[in-house]
Amino acid sequence: MFTANTTLMLVATFLPVLGALVLLFVPKGQRRIFEIGSLITMIASLLLSLPFWFGYDRASDAVQWAGAWTWIPALGVKFSVGMDGISLLLWLLTTFIGPIAVACSFKSIEERHKEYYIWMLVLQTAMLGVFITQDMFLFYLFWEVMLVPMYFLIGIWGGPQKLYAAIKLFLYTLAGSVLMLVAILAIYFLQHKVTGAYDFSLASFQAMAPVIAQQSKTYQHLMALAFFIGFAIKVPMFPFHTWLPDAHVQAPTAGSVILAAILLKMGTYGFVRFLLPILPTATKELLPWFIALALIGIIYGALVAMIQKDMKKLVAYSSVSHLGLCMLGLFALNPYGIKGGLFQMINHGISTSGLFLAVGIVYERRHTRMIADFGGLSKTMPVYATIFMIMTMSSIGLPLLNGFIGEGVILMGSFQAFPWAAVVATLGIILGAAYMLWMFQRVMFGPITAVNEKMDDLSLREVLYFAPLVAAAFWIGLYPKPVMDVMDAPVRKLVEQVTPGFHAAEALAAKQAAAAKLGMQGMAAPAHHEAAPAGHEAAAEGHAAHEAPAHETPAHGGGH
Amino acid sequence: MTGFAQGLLAALLRDTPLITPQIFLMTVATLMLWPGDLFFNRNEKHKWAPVTLVILAVTAFLVTRVPDGEGFSRMFRMDGLTRGFQLLCILASAGAVLLSVKLLDSLKQQTVEYYALILFSLSGMLFLCGASDLISIYFSIELMAICIYILVAYLRDRATSVEAGMKYFLLGAFSSGILVYGISLLYGAAGGVTTNLADLNQALALTPTTSSLLVYTGVLMVLVGMAFKVAAVPFHMWAPDAYEGAPTPITAFMATAPKAAALAAFLRVFGTGFHGVSSDWVLPLCYIAGASMVLGNVAAVKQESMKRLLAYSSIAHVGYMLLGVLSGDPKAGAQAVWLYMLIYIVMNTGAFAVVIYLQGKGEGERIEDFKGLGRKHPVLAFAMMIFLLSLAGIPPLVGFFGKFYLFKLAIEQGFVTLTVLALLTSAVSAYYYLGVVKEMYFKEPEGEAIPMGAAQVFIVTVACILVLVGTAFGPWLLDWAGRIFWV
Repeated sequence: MFTANTTLMLVATFLPVLGALVLLFVPKGQRRIFEIGSLITMIASLLLSLPFWFGYDRASDAVQWAGAWTWIPALGVKFSVGMDGISLLLWLLTTFIGPIAVACSFKSIEERHKEYYIWMLVLQTAMLGVFITQDMFLFYLFWEVMLVPMYFLIGIWGGPQKLYAAIKLFLYTLAGSVLMLVAILAIYFLQHKVTGAYDFSLASFQAMAPVIAQQSKTYQHLMALAFFIGFAIKVPMFPFHTWLPDAHVQAPTAGSVILAAILLKMGTYGFVRFLLPILPTATKELLPWFIALALIGIIYGALVAMIQKDMKKLVAYSSVSHLGLCMLGLFALNPYGIKGGLFQMINHGISTSGLFLAVGIVYERRHTRMIADFGGLSKTMPVYATIFMIMTMSSIGLPLLNGFIGEGVILMGSFQAFPWAAVVATLGIILGAAYMLWMFQRVMFGPITAVNEKMDDLSLREVLYFAPLVAAAFWIGLYPKPVMDVMDAPVRKLVEQVTPGFHAAEALAAKQAAAAKLGMQGMAAPAHHEAAPAGHEAAAEGHAAHEAPAHETPAHGGGH
Repeated sequence: MTGFAQGLLAALLRDTPLITPQIFLMTVATLMLWPGDLFFNRNEKHKWAPVTLVILAVTAFLVTRVPDGEGFSRMFRMDGLTRGFQLLCILASAGAVLLSVKLLDSLKQQTVEYYALILFSLSGMLFLCGASDLISIYFSIELMAICIYILVAYLRDRATSVEAGMKYFLLGAFSSGILVYGISLLYGAAGGVTTNLADLNQALALTPTTSSLLVYTGVLMVLVGMAFKVAAVPFHMWAPDAYEGAPTPITAFMATAPKAAALAAFLRVFGTGFHGVSSDWVLPLCYIAGASMVLGNVAAVKQESMKRLLAYSSIAHVGYMLLGVLSGDPKAGAQAVWLYMLIYIVMNTGAFAVVIYLQGKGEGERIEDFKGLGRKHPVLAFAMMIFLLSLAGIPPLVGFFGKFYLFKLAIEQGFVTLTVLALLTSAVSAYYYLGVVKEMYFKEPEGEAIPMGAAQVFIVTVACILVLVGTAFGPWLLDWAGRIFWV
């Protein structure tokens, strides 16, 4: 039924909820047991997930470690799991963030420990589950289950406005996902009409793309909008972002970390996995609107972040801006854009969770997050200041750190597709540097007040949970190739799904460009030997090469 | 003359097996009133609850043994639809009986009449599930409803209970009048020869166009009468007051059992009898279903009384279930409605068990009485949370599965706008269900926890487990639902 590897993947995914079941039977007062127990569970899940990074076949674009188990045959529902490179990265990001989120809660959670750690573990399994399912029904199940633990994490252990923030998060996401459910069902029945079979598998949904493309424009646009709204609320894209600042500000630090690092990625993952491959034609038709919303998000998020007085709110709005950039990359619909968008999702997960942790540190010590209450912290907390600086630099895209690579690749991709959009996005990046550095300056430098002088620097536990994030930021910044390689084949497949014949057209264009170059030099040597490898390079070079594929793609695509 | 008598006797002997469960129920309930009442003295009346449960179990067994067939001048049919919904009614009644024990004890209101009335009412429901003639539908509804009017007003010392019973009775009688008038119009329009649903379907198809207005009016009046019985908007006004005033176990009973029976009749009347004239009723029923979802869910948001909240939520759930009645494929519609009703009975009875537990100390009427239940009684609060989330349709709880199956059918049948409305209003419903969850978990408790009765523990535990794991057994549920069919 399942191979050993698939079983291991399932064990890593469901281990947290098993841990939660065990903790359920521990009496309430045992604070330490809950803390250590959930940390061990998270770490065990992380260790179990690591072999998949090494075992992943980077040359293949197929779903790996696939396994399926018939569940409700009458409806075509299967318990079907498996991962490709894109899922793998986000799945690993989730197992990576899990232990950090638990470790940062030891001090800040003062009451009801049992419930807290149980909800954390349940949430972890729900999130991991989203990334491994290969069945739409199962996906929807995990997708919604995630909301319940998050609702409790914010509602019980959150700030003063926690009730409002929790219900807002719940209802916004629920409203979006029920629309998505209608679209899923509509495609399911269309598929039944065409093939005569009921099938919820992701592969069969993706195979429906050509059939959907033949439906009426209204049908396609409605389907695309239903998916779009469902995912855009989760990302969140402007104008669906209003739940995010509330949720982030009210959530406990760990909640913010998970929200920023994983939950928001569910939305972008949804775009990559569902909207783009299932509804490519409709997506392309609505693309100007999507791009416009992404750009508004980038600029609006940055401008609103700039005027924030609360550090956590500032970081929250910076997420709106950064995820707008991710979406811009994905909507470029070319390999650079999509890879950059995915890559930036990972980076945002690392740097923003680092920033939320950093804000949590001062909040634990002073019970305030107002920028005005701080100043000169670098004098009393040098270690903290250093880590804060690394995370800030990573967030604003300084070379050598992870953010730089992601932003660069996104800009390359979006410039190929929409040069003007890339220009606007650059403005957002500059603004991003401005508000982040401004916050850093106001918090870390300047005169120090008496209260702040008494603040302790990071403890060993705190350094330990920052360390993996710092290491990851440097590793990805210095040597991004392994991460890029994992995405290579699946992204290639995705681009091909969205624009059939894209790579062939690109290769052809590169060949012609090379031939033209050779022709100018007056040499008649055959160009086809170097056509393929030159393809990527030429496209990356910029304007001259960019012209060619832009003209060639539709012509070639139409030929099929 | 003897020939006629012989024929009658032969027909009776042939047809009686079809209604064995009803005959059994009525006989036993009558015997319970006298001489059964003499068995237990004043302080032992609570012993009638287990006796009633045994009677219900026997009835359920009889229902499964009755052969398929049609009888009594084709007034009653036994088929998959009948059997399936009869079992639902019995299940819901058993739930109500279990819920009653502790509450009636604490109110010192245990009587044999209470349980007998539930049984009489149930016999009406069993008739209604299989009624295949407008006349038999009408008298089954009356038998069912009159017993419930009395049960609503059962706590006769309480003004609210009597008022609720009175209100329910007046509006119920009014709606019955509308129903009968509609039936008479259809009888006339179809040539004055039949009220049998299958015959009516053919006769209505042959009516001349000059009487189309007559048919239209008749169908609409029957629709209004039936909508009253299931409390669909805009004919729902009686429901919140009746629900609030009635003893809480009867509220749980009213929200499930009579609705299951009335929906069975709904499915049969509109799926068989009026199938040919569906253009007359589909649009009005669409509006009724849509309005029930919207008003039920929106009005529930503002409620402070838990019973009223559940009353409005049951109006909304009826709105969802009417989607199944609308289905152009009556069989698939009946299966989806049956599945949804089964799931609804389980979660609703579970939720009412918790409400009744809180009432044990004079609370539970108001939503704020749930304050801090998560601290005082973690297991109970967890179960309540599961019921509420399931009512809201959050996966992977079984309530989601029921909704999913129903909405899937509605989309398949082309009611996309209505389904989107249903899904969006169910997102609204999450708001007020979570409002109760919020009270239980986010607020500090006051006072001490009290112990629960054994019957309540049983209901809460069983219902909670069923709701939690139900979706995993989806294939079984679909398999059962597949037996709900009729021709």
